[in-house]
Amino acid sequence: MSQNIKVIPRHGSSFKDKLYLPAIYDGVKVTFKHLFKNLNDSNAVDTLEYPEEQPTDITSRYRGLHRLTHRPDASIACVACFMCATACPADCIFIEATARKDGHDEKMPKTFFIDTLECVFCGYCVEACPCDAIRMDTGIFSLTGNNREDFVLGKEQLLANKGAFGEEICSARN
Amino acid sequence: MSKMIDIIVDGKTYNVEEDSLLIDLLIKEKIKVPYFCYHESLGADGNCRMCMVEIEGQKRPQIACDTFVKEGMEVRSKTPNIAKVRRDILELELINHPVDCPVCDQAGECSLQIFYMQHGLHDTEVTIPEKVKHEKHLDLGSNVILDQERCVLCARCTRFTDKITHTHELGIVGRGDDSKVSTMPGRKLDNPYAMNVVDLCPVGALTSKDFRFSQRVWFLKVSNSICHGCAKGCNLYIDHNKIKYKDDVVYRFRPRRNDAVNGFFICDEGRLSYKELEENRQEIIVLKNQELSEDKAIKEFKSKVDKYKGNTTIIVDANLYTEEIEAILEFAKEIDAQVISPLGIYKDEDFGDDMLKSSMRAANYKTIQRLNIAESTSIQSDLIINFNHPSEIHASEKISFLTHKNKDLELTFPIASYSESSGHLTNEDGITQACERTVFKNTPIPTIQEWIQKVRT
Repeated sequence: MSQNIKVIPRHGSSFKDKLYLPAIYDGVKVTFKHLFKNLNDSNAVDTLEYPEEQPTDITSRYRGLHRLTHRPDASIACVACFMCATACPADCIFIEATARKDGHDEKMPKTFFIDTLECVFCGYCVEACPCDAIRMDTGIFSLTGNNREDFVLGKEQLLANKGAFGEEICSARN
Repeated sequence: MSKMIDIIVDGKTYNVEEDSLLIDLLIKEKIKVPYFCYHESLGADGNCRMCMVEIEGQKRPQIACDTFVKEGMEVRSKTPNIAKVRRDILELELINHPVDCPVCDQAGECSLQIFYMQHGLHDTEVTIPEKVKHEKHLDLGSNVILDQERCVLCARCTRFTDKITHTHELGIVGRGDDSKVSTMPGRKLDNPYAMNVVDLCPVGALTSKDFRFSQRVWFLKVSNSICHGCAKGCNLYIDHNKIKYKDDVVYRFRPRRNDAVNGFFICDEGRLSYKELEENRQEIIVLKNQELSEDKAIKEFKSKVDKYKGNTTIIVDANLYTEEIEAILEFAKEIDAQVISPLGIYKDEDFGDDMLKSSMRAANYKTIQRLNIAESTSIQSDLIINFNHPSEIHASEKISFLTHKNKDLELTFPIASYSESSGHLTNEDGITQACERTVFKNTPIPTIQEWIQKVRT
């Protein structure tokens, strides 16, 4: 056991260190350097005047608000296989399945809720989906509401969300 | 009892009965062997060819399910050749399989999925432009739905109707890739044990209409329990789940193997009796149809019991656990009451048969008899305390402890049903079996023991 112990000498015991002032001076120097640089050229400051100014760097890989995709005939692509709910680490997807009567497959979600207040936007649901039925490509990064219930999105809301980067229709085999 | 012999499997020696089936040994010793068609209750059929093993001295791999054990036999189940044979047979099974696991209720407990992960993991070399199409959801009757495309033609279901129920409803018709399981034209699957084919089916071809799409099986928690439908005491698995923010719900009953009681099966009525657990439950304390607080109810109970001391009869349901009945007997001694349990009401001659159904529809009536509880129906007392007994008995004063709502409610306390408490039952053959507590409700209803404890203090 003893040969695994490595003794590290304690730093800060010299006279210069004990004075503290040289270290404070070093720090304040950095602060003032940035202050004067930014006062000279305020346009170079990397901030966004949100909400008047909207972000421009949202790419197709950005994990925004979820949506449920449609099939070519505008019916829901989801078959309620519960893969997303199984993969979800936040346990925030609530599905109730029912039999499907419109000729596609046999199963569809009767209700499909995502509690976005519990969601951690990890994207595992998108990864897990075998039908390309759930995506996070809406580009929506801000969701507002007046009460907690507003943040629990139902099937209709999720189906109404549009993809921001084309590919409106699900690309699974049916 | 035949001779015990030694055989070698994968280099290890096992002592087995001569002329028993090799696959039974492999299953018992948990040596991985894939099989669809073999089932311990139905015997060997040898049609799926999945259980191939190499036997020393035999030219080709042999199926373990139709091989009898012989002295000095040397079996190898883990050679590269066997792995290839199993993978190739699995590939053939999967040629026309629709692979619709996302919509299949069997997903998660499907032999095809398990064997693919254990023995397959291949990319298919057979590519056909279109898979053979069959009927996707055929209602066979008796709550069974058939998907002919998912079927692997193991014939377990047809052998079940031939050998176990002797009703012969199901058969395999057609040849080659047109063969499929079907009923006779115009006939339905119709026998009181029909839903066992759902458990027997190793894939998603036969699924339960009752359980259809209600849950994915990997979410379900499993507890061991005993059926309360009749005095047979069939062993059950209770599958239940507590969805986030909701209450614990039972989704289905499945038979649990017990060779001494029910073998592999249960009747459909017992299987569907899980619905009664939730329906029409007594959940609150009621006095003359008005809700009552617990303190007031216990005060009311005590005053009535004191008023009629020595003039009280307790009626006990014969479905209660032995522990509950014993607690009631002890309480009866304290309040000087007489205890009865009329058993006539449980008799149902139409229900019983010579398989698993007993015409005595009380799960624990043997304990009632063992504890010498009177069966008389004549009651002279003025106060009756009824512990969930189904008969309607009239008296001037009545207190009830009920799991399910009843019509005339004087003072009524709700009690936990059998899934919400644990205990023991003795079946009609005198076998005592334990039931686990399955359901943990968000607001648990007290058990009989808890109520007795509360009214004592």
